[in-house]
Amino acid sequence: MVDRLRPIALDCDVLFGTWPPRAQVRMDLATVRTTLDKAGIRGAVACSARGAWFDDIEGNTETIDVVSPLDGWYPAATINLRNGLRAESELDRMVAAGVRAVRLFANQSAAPTFPGYRHVVDEALRRNLVLLVEGDFRVCWQAYAERAARVVFLDVHAYHLADFILVARQEPGFVASTRLLNAPDSIETVVGEVGAGHLAFGSRSPLHATSPATIRLRHARISDTDWSAVAGGTLRDLLDGERKVGG
Amino acid sequence: MADHPIIDVHGHWGPWFFAMDIGTARENIRLMDAYDITIQLVSAAEGVVYDAPGGNARLSPILESQPRLRGYLVVNPNDPDAAAADLRRHLPSGLWSGVKIHTGYPLRPIDSPQMRETFAMLNEFGVVILIHTWGPDILVLPELLAQNSRLRVVAGHMGADRWDLAAQAARDCDRLYLEPSCSLTETMRFRHVLAHAPIRQLLFGTDATLIDPAVAFGLVADAAPTREQEELLFWKNAADLFGLHDQLANLGN
Repeated sequence: MVDRLRPIALDCDVLFGTWPPRAQVRMDLATVRTTLDKAGIRGAVACSARGAWFDDIEGNTETIDVVSPLDGWYPAATINLRNGLRAESELDRMVAAGVRAVRLFANQSAAPTFPGYRHVVDEALRRNLVLLVEGDFRVCWQAYAERAARVVFLDVHAYHLADFILVARQEPGFVASTRLLNAPDSIETVVGEVGAGHLAFGSRSPLHATSPATIRLRHARISDTDWSAVAGGTLRDLLDGERKVGG
Repeated sequence: MADHPIIDVHGHWGPWFFAMDIGTARENIRLMDAYDITIQLVSAAEGVVYDAPGGNARLSPILESQPRLRGYLVVNPNDPDAAAADLRRHLPSGLWSGVKIHTGYPLRPIDSPQMRETFAMLNEFGVVILIHTWGPDILVLPELLAQNSRLRVVAGHMGADRWDLAAQAARDCDRLYLEPSCSLTETMRFRHVLAHAPIRQLLFGTDATLIDPAVAFGLVADAAPTREQEELLFWKNAADLFGLHDQLANLGN
């Protein structure tokens, strides 16, 4: 029996820096690490909020500098969706630095049909990067479909679970964060319908409270093997490139 | 394991139209057991999203068979006459703790004339109202309460993304209570309310079985209330407001 109080290996949705609408929330990386540690979360895919709001290149440099040295943590780059002209060079720089994931933020009001958004997705997939995608799954899924993409959708809501499952049946690389899968049986339904390979634990700490996500996962009525996958195995396989998709 | 009772003032019974298998009272009890919830106040999902009197009628026998559940009669503000008849029909049973009003499905915001008429009708009954609040119109509630002196109101979801205005509204009226249930989990939601709203006006709600209680428990935990605040939030305030002390004693608390 897996001890459900054991650490959660990996959080797919962690930020640091500052967030203008919530400037009162302490988001420095040291505080974030303490918050996750107290919640029993051992590692994270973390991204500086600087790139979301102000400067993706500076933000990516900051992310690599402070996250890469942390054991069990992965840096997530981001690309400014309002200026796709420099996406290719920045993605090349990220690949050269060993970054495996790119996060696309919803605060930039770039719809998946916008030319810049599509360009960024094209170039990220061309470089075999994992995408961490904010926004309404029902709107943004199509930009990644039928492309053997490895994508973690960070905002899949319990209310939209049927839409995610219908698509995930055809897309082995589509993964939902657990953060908003907060109906009493959402996690169990995804595992039962398409498998734990389509779920990754996420909390959006520290912008969002950490404990709703951890308490929910610790109460999940799934097997020990599936629990370990959701708590980090699925995401680690994606990031390590061990997940075969599109085959 | 909590060493005090827990009263969940925002629950539901029955199925929803989403991809969820949550429609039976057994699911209410399973979640209550999993999270140590002693009493849950529930409304019929059918009444909230479709037919208020019909949903209330279907919930009534459930309440008779489940001593840990108490009911809210759903009131549709578009038909206060039917609501008044429903209150006269059901309240004498003693199985109901108040009235639930949604604003989204009936398409009547808090400051609509239909809602004002409904509040005036409910004032005659002197009930507690749990009302869905989502955004800045929570600031209308103190004025509505000032016009209806026999009412007490629980602001469900405490304004959702306008928790700051919820705290302000609670400070403006001591008959307005707040409960944190919501699928939105921003760190500041409950932290701000705990710091800025009167503690005697805070209640605990989960929105189960639509939402897993983990969300509300997690929000509260991360706000780090004191032991005294916890006791008030989790049960004392609700027991006073809804008169549940005897029921708690009957359940061994």
